[in-house]
Amino acid sequence: MNWTRLKRREVLSTILIAVAVAITSLTTSSVRDGVAIGVMVAVAIIGIATLTANGLRATHPVLARAALTVVVLDVSLFATYFFSAITNFNLAIGAAMSIVLLGLSFLTGASGQISLGNGAFMGVGALIMGMWANHHTSTPIFITLLIAVAGGAFVGLLLGLPATRLRGPYLAGMTLAFAVAFTAIVNSFSSWTGADAGLQLPTAVTPPHWLSDFFSSQTTLLTVNSMWLADITILVTGVAFFFMANLFASRTGRTMRLIRDNDVAAELVGISLPRARVIAFMVSSAYAALGGALWTLINNSVSPSTYSLALSITILSLVVIGGIGTISGALIGGVIYAYSTNVISWFTAHTGINPQGNLANQLPGIIFGGLLIVTMLFAPMGIVGALRRLWSKRRARTAG
Amino acid sequence: MDPFLTSRIVSDILTGLTNGVIYGLLALSLVLVWRSTRILNFAQGAMPMLATYVGMVVFAHQLSYWTLVIVSIVAGFAIGGVTERVLVRHLYGKPEINPIVVMVGFLIVLEGVAAAIWSTTPRGTPSPFSPIDWQLNGRPIALSAFSVYEIVTALVVMIGVAALFRFTKLGLQLRASALAPEVSRLLGVRVSRMLTFGWILSTGVGTICTVLVASNFFTGLTPQVMDGIFAFGFIAAAVGGLDSPVGAIVSGVAIGIILQFVGDYVNSNAIMITALIILIISLMVRPNGLFTKSTARRV
Amino acid sequence: MGKTRMRQLATGATALLLCMGFVTVGSSFVNAGAASARTPGVTAKQITIGATVPLTGIASSGYNEVAKAANAVFNYVNKKGGVNGRKIKYITKDDCYNTPGLGCAGAGSTVAQTRTLLSAPVFATVGSLGTAPQDLVRSLLKSNGVPQLFVNSGSRDWNSPNTYPGLFGWQTSYNEEGKIFAKYINATYPTDNTCFLGQGDDFGADGLAGLVAGGVSPSDTQFYSVTALVLSQGASVGPYVAKFQSDKCTVVVLDTIPGATDAVLGAALKLGYSPHWVISSVGSDPVAVFAPFAKAGLPTSPEVGAISFSFLPTSASSSSWIPWMRKVLTADTAQFPGFNSTSILDGNMEYGIGWGVAFVEALKAAGKTFTRASFLKILTSTTFSQTPSLTPLRYTTSDHQGLNGGYLTRVTSGTALTTVDGKIYTTDSSPSGVVTSAKKLSSGIPSWLK
Repeated sequence: MNWTRLKRREVLSTILIAVAVAITSLTTSSVRDGVAIGVMVAVAIIGIATLTANGLRATHPVLARAALTVVVLDVSLFATYFFSAITNFNLAIGAAMSIVLLGLSFLTGASGQISLGNGAFMGVGALIMGMWANHHTSTPIFITLLIAVAGGAFVGLLLGLPATRLRGPYLAGMTLAFAVAFTAIVNSFSSWTGADAGLQLPTAVTPPHWLSDFFSSQTTLLTVNSMWLADITILVTGVAFFFMANLFASRTGRTMRLIRDNDVAAELVGISLPRARVIAFMVSSAYAALGGALWTLINNSVSPSTYSLALSITILSLVVIGGIGTISGALIGGVIYAYSTNVISWFTAHTGINPQGNLANQLPGIIFGGLLIVTMLFAPMGIVGALRRLWSKRRARTAG
Repeated sequence: MDPFLTSRIVSDILTGLTNGVIYGLLALSLVLVWRSTRILNFAQGAMPMLATYVGMVVFAHQLSYWTLVIVSIVAGFAIGGVTERVLVRHLYGKPEINPIVVMVGFLIVLEGVAAAIWSTTPRGTPSPFSPIDWQLNGRPIALSAFSVYEIVTALVVMIGVAALFRFTKLGLQLRASALAPEVSRLLGVRVSRMLTFGWILSTGVGTICTVLVASNFFTGLTPQVMDGIFAFGFIAAAVGGLDSPVGAIVSGVAIGIILQFVGDYVNSNAIMITALIILIISLMVRPNGLFTKSTARRV
Repeated sequence: MGKTRMRQLATGATALLLCMGFVTVGSSFVNAGAASARTPGVTAKQITIGATVPLTGIASSGYNEVAKAANAVFNYVNKKGGVNGRKIKYITKDDCYNTPGLGCAGAGSTVAQTRTLLSAPVFATVGSLGTAPQDLVRSLLKSNGVPQLFVNSGSRDWNSPNTYPGLFGWQTSYNEEGKIFAKYINATYPTDNTCFLGQGDDFGADGLAGLVAGGVSPSDTQFYSVTALVLSQGASVGPYVAKFQSDKCTVVVLDTIPGATDAVLGAALKLGYSPHWVISSVGSDPVAVFAPFAKAGLPTSPEVGAISFSFLPTSASSSSWIPWMRKVLTADTAQFPGFNSTSILDGNMEYGIGWGVAFVEALKAAGKTFTRASFLKILTSTTFSQTPSLTPLRYTTSDHQGLNGGYLTRVTSGTALTTVDGKIYTTDSSPSGVVTSAKKLSSGIPSWLK
């Protein structure tokens, strides 16, 4: 085995860890949080570096993925104990968002279709969670999540069917129209959905007694509740990513990629194009609905106005910036989403921009939009794609 | 005659017509940019919005309304041309998703910049035409001086664009560059210049549309003012066919009238839902639009 | 397993252990220092309270002054040494009426901002604004044990003592206001066709229920969505107004926020429609409603002649609270620079001062040492008759609504209201409660507050 290459990988990992810790300690609210998050990111990088090495992946792919999932989940759940309430909240929001990003990444990257409506699919899941919890208070959370996923898949079917015949701009436009019409649809069924005003969960999600007893009486209810929400979300996220990783690599995933690259050839080989496209659409909408349902749990309420066209566009931006068609891209996108407000407020504080002024308020939008343009023009495969290209260039250089 | 003209049905038709010409104008600008460069410009509402801000806000002191309009349109030409040269150049020939994502990003940036500079408070620049409906024997008819101004302006623009394409050499060159760029180049047409001109023209048309919206006393100018109109304009363009200017205008007016009836006889939520249903049905029946001859895809 | 595999796993495991050690050591330092106060948000010298309010966005026109005015009361009291030796720190967070992104200054949603307040920590939320926004955080606040006091809204949702023992309203409810409006409409326009437009949440629903309970059944009722209103920049209410006109309604009751009132009045102007307007207290403030029309160059407010309701004395009344309010606002040069005895004292400022005084008095009554539980007990067992409101403020263990009356007002210009008959009407929220007129209650200013 090549010792120099291994040493390089470890050195690179250590540098990445140091950088991650530095960045996160600067932008989080306390040193404790900075250290804890830095650790979490670091271990994730190490885990990926270790497990994506040669060998295990080729011979036992599912096992390798499961091992990775378990490692990441383990450390994350351990870490939530130490995080402040706000960090746990942001983490949960970001993790749920990464599920949505994963779904869209699959749709766009694996099957080449574009959707500007995934914010609305999130809203579908979020509303189902809210409505169900208000009418059937005794259903366990995980069952309700599954119901929300099924609902999302169903709506994805409804929209995916007409979408099969549409090319890029028309499909984008149709999903855009759905995103814009979502609020109107919600308002039409106002007696169930609570219309504009939204719905709250009648009882907030709280941890079971045996868990809350672990904490001293000094710890506030808020900290305990937030930790529990973060744990549930992280667990669900891990499961969702595991399934998607296997889907990407499976026969269905390969079918999708063939359709994306050359749909005429796919048809000649006997693949049913409409069916594959609809399945991809349903997967992406199911994932979006799951993310939305988690948001309802975390926020203890659902407001339809959250699931606007602007959110759909944010989702698309994050998928592009993270890297279309990649799993780690979705994770990166989730982290960016969770911490973008922190980073931007840090930025405004240190560059003398008035935090109450117009510029500061529009900065997130301007930066996101700008990143979207720049990424698409110069690095269309996103952060992950750019990193991969760098990696393979270095590999080629050392090998040759 | 009077009761007929002020009846609910005629009022809805007239109001729908007034709204519809706005949608039709935006749809026309979308079609122009698609036909000349094969790109669906999601920022087709935001670029004119910026131009209108430049005209109506930056130059607002002491100048007359008409001067501000001209300034806005010129700004629109400039923004269209610059965008094509600097941004869109890099998008030709790339996968379909690239221009969509870039233009969406551009849309967000433009709205953010406009809000950062001029805030989101609505700005009014009322036109010299009164928006109060005319009265016929004490009952309102759904027309005012302002709505007539909108309809006439839209008609003039549509006829002007049609004339440009049909009767001038420039129009011929534009059509040729879009349909057969290599052949046109061989024949001496400056294709890249034509592409830029396509964007200049479409942004100009979009700016006229935005100026009409911004001069409306009851609407005013905000960074998001064109969002809703873009949605309806896009639906009109998609239903009519992105290749068909006539389709864009006819669909725009038809959609404006249909949605007005829906809003009046059902409720306001049904408006957007109906628009979505119209779009889905039309795309399922004729994926390339109602007014385009269906073309086979090159394999 | 090959050597390389072992190496990699060993590296990973070592790193993992090192990091876990790091975290445990690090956190032990932090946890050693953490010591929370017995009652969150309360120290010997300070009490921290917070609220989510619409500082930007559709609901901010007018409403963004309410919390500022309340804060002016707190600043005034703090300058005198605070209440029982404690200064009041009031944290306001912009939730943009929970319509983030629509003309909002990048603010967070109500839930996110409420969580930020909870992390501060705050003793209670006091004076958060909005029916729909506050409906969404009730179980969140309850599960974290935080009282939700003096919600700025007249919905009946705040009166659920069994489900939400820590939740309290303040103003006269929309239901009661509707009954008082109905009494007026039946007396003044007995044969007219009445139409109703309300907000599409409990604000509109409660107002309509009150109207109906008071004996007025509108021939046409419509509800508008706030999101649609913002997205269409006011055009979404146009069809409703046109319908009222073609229904020949000569009396129109509005349960609308000022932004929506503006949209309705604008649409009516365009149609040449001028019915008798009856507008809820929260949406009728003359200054807020006239502002956009004034900006567009209209000389007179289209609201002139409209009937509204107030549970606070009008700025022209002889109540001793009015000069006191002016004193408090003038003294607050940071939030109300240049405010003097000739500045306009509008309804939103009075509203904020109204519940601000109520909170300060409750705090005083709670004593030097209190917990959340003991504070709530004081609230439900004391009658506060010396606050700016026209009727006394009384809560019981089974009634958390707040004020229960007020008088009818008429808009006379773009800046002023007068009373219609000067009588104070009180009622209750039962479906058939009678509307009675009460004697004017003297509510002098407590000496320690003067």
